[in-house]
Amino acid sequence: MSPTFTIAAKDLRLLARDSRSAMILLVMPLLLILVLGLSLGRIFEQKPDDRIRISVVNLDAGLPTDHQGFPPKNWSEMVLDDLTNTGNVRVELIASREEAEQLIRKGDRAAVVIFEPEFSDRVQRCSFVGEPFTRNPINPLYRDGILTREIGVTILRNPSQLVAYSVINQVIQVTLMRVVIPWMIGQAFEMIGTPPFMERMEKHIPQLKLAYPFLSKKTLGEGIQQGIGAFFSEYNFTGKTWAKLTKSEEPPENAENRSVFEASDRGIRLNRGALRYQVLVPSYTVTFAFFLVLTVGWLFVAERRHGTMVRLLAAPLARWEILLGKLIPCLAVSLLQGFLLLGCGWLVFGMSFGPTPWLVVPVVVSTSVAAVGLAMLVAGLARTETQVAVYGTLLVLVLAGLSGSMMPRDLMPEAMRTLSQLTPHAWALDAYAQLLPAPGDSEQAAPIPDAGQILRYCGVLWAFGLSFLGLAWWQMRLDSY
Amino acid sequence: MAAALREIPMPHKMVVIMVDPILEVREIRHCYGSTVALDGVSLTVGRGELFGLLGPNGAGKTTLMSILAGLQEPSDGSVWVAGQRLSRSARGLRCRIGIATQDLALYPELTARENLLFFGRLYRLHESELRPRVETLLATVGLSDRAEQRAGTFSGGMKRRLNLAIAVVHQPELLLLDEPTTGVDPQSRNHIFEFVRQLNSAGLTVIYTSHYMEEVQSLCPRIAILDQGRLIACDTLPNLLRLQKTLIHLRLPQVPAGLIEKLQVLPGVTEVQAGVDQITLTTTESGLLLPKLAAACLQYHLEPTSLELDQPTLERVFLHLTGHELRD
Repeated sequence: MSPTFTIAAKDLRLLARDSRSAMILLVMPLLLILVLGLSLGRIFEQKPDDRIRISVVNLDAGLPTDHQGFPPKNWSEMVLDDLTNTGNVRVELIASREEAEQLIRKGDRAAVVIFEPEFSDRVQRCSFVGEPFTRNPINPLYRDGILTREIGVTILRNPSQLVAYSVINQVIQVTLMRVVIPWMIGQAFEMIGTPPFMERMEKHIPQLKLAYPFLSKKTLGEGIQQGIGAFFSEYNFTGKTWAKLTKSEEPPENAENRSVFEASDRGIRLNRGALRYQVLVPSYTVTFAFFLVLTVGWLFVAERRHGTMVRLLAAPLARWEILLGKLIPCLAVSLLQGFLLLGCGWLVFGMSFGPTPWLVVPVVVSTSVAAVGLAMLVAGLARTETQVAVYGTLLVLVLAGLSGSMMPRDLMPEAMRTLSQLTPHAWALDAYAQLLPAPGDSEQAAPIPDAGQILRYCGVLWAFGLSFLGLAWWQMRLDSY
Repeated sequence: MAAALREIPMPHKMVVIMVDPILEVREIRHCYGSTVALDGVSLTVGRGELFGLLGPNGAGKTTLMSILAGLQEPSDGSVWVAGQRLSRSARGLRCRIGIATQDLALYPELTARENLLFFGRLYRLHESELRPRVETLLATVGLSDRAEQRAGTFSGGMKRRLNLAIAVVHQPELLLLDEPTTGVDPQSRNHIFEFVRQLNSAGLTVIYTSHYMEEVQSLCPRIAILDQGRLIACDTLPNLLRLQKTLIHLRLPQVPAGLIEKLQVLPGVTEVQAGVDQITLTTTESGLLLPKLAAACLQYHLEPTSLELDQPTLERVFLHLTGHELRD
């Protein structure tokens, strides 16, 4: 075995016997991921979102059995479609009334809309006309819009968040009007010209009967309906939906505006496979990759403290052989750490590597190169264990904070994101962000990562690593005694 | 050692002629900033010699050893080992030198055997050669039964012995020992002395540095004395001791007239100082003088109440040469 590998094997053996390094490099990141995943995980799943969140409990029992043709789905679904297709609104579905009440009580939600079981039945009965044209008709309209209790809608509200409640209430009012009023208009207009309609008209215009010898009641009724329709040619009074009524295009469907509230977050559960781990695992893998600074620093300081550096220098070894012998185990430990943490991310936390998992390899390797470079640089500068511990930890934490690896990078101000590019962490995180399915991407729908972009990020990490190593080589003095 | 040196008896001095030098130090000067650590040191050590380097703390011994081990270049002057000039780049030459530093230099997390194997491999020894060598060394320093225990669990003396074994695992020709008994118990110290003598008997040249005069005096036939970066003496032990004379303190009931004159003419006596009941003689030949001194006293019917012999030591030689004590 060459002396370089002899030194490397010795250092690996020392590291394997150093529980302190194993604790810092492997146990701490896993513990942090676990704890943060359990306690603050939701933060890591939330992108900055300016959309209005409408929380809904849908208890709608469905349409009456005798409904004819319209609507094609429950009225609650019609309302939810309208909400989700409205710009800057997203719908969050809560499973139960109890859950909604708890969220309101805790102040987690300003208002929750509940579609009661009778909602579809009552909307179905909404009508401008009464008996006998409509069975048990309901008139939901009043001065301010739709009387929600009349159609089986309950809005829970948190009294301390009235402004937010008012906004949500207005959104609901507009949506209900867009759903209920075209339905009521459509029903009413379809009645125009029908025999019951003509009979009612005959009571008010007795002369109408004089026309019957010349026109059948059916022809006359159809003519009236067509005439009114032609008079209001900008509208389709039988459309029954807002888009058809106004003869406008149906709004595009926005399924991503609808999500399900995760009830599991209320308890302490691992919630394996949660999207938070897509952020947490790479973030802490990158952060703790640079904690290698401490391990390598201690390795060099211990070599000096134990006096063994003198023996290395007295041996027939070139400086590069000693440094390479120290570098190899550090790189090996860093690679092991990277793959082990990501492996745990996959096995324990159920994270996904997206459609091109092999790209993890260059990202881990490049991150390790950058981390080892920085570690060697610090190891060359620090003279004592205290210096390594204090300055190394400070450096690692400042870089981690600056780079955004301790919080979702999306939450950082733009200027800070630009500044973060000065750290290798940021490039590693960008590579992971490009590689891994983001929060909000389903496993199947995750976009194919841009391999070229990822490799460019890896190139920057290599540049960082080689620059650090160059500086370390230039300034490192292997102490004599 | 006998092969390297030939001592020629002379009336008052032995002249040492170096037959086969393994180490030559020529006019070494070394500075740390404005501080001069070594100032024109020159010495020669013969192959197979057990050479002592004596000096107080801060005399420059460790700096000299560091230079001799090739760990640093002198500011000026040169070091030659086995006829080749030593430098940081002379890596091949470093295989021929072993060093046991003043501070321990071993890995506490590795076992005794692992430490020896590691340092042996650094010198590119083949496993077939290295493994038996390691076992022999472990046995020699009395650590065979602790070979699988981590060095960190050893006592100070055991660590020192392991440290010494590591220094010779690659079978060097020149061994530099820098204060090898610092902080060890008497038993380990004897063990180390025995090991050093054994190595030297096997032909290894040893340079033994210490500020303990007794150690150097008991181990090393030839000694250099270093003080404030300067080599103030370098000679065989007897020659160095001859730099100082023996003092004989004789206490008598009285000092009669005529006794002083009689003692002054005795052979080897260079000075006589007399008090009321005490005489102090300075001599170069205490062994031959004592019977004559006894005879003189008998002649005057005097019975000495006490007789003290103050023989020369390196301590006194150092004081004589430098004007201050070794442990100042």
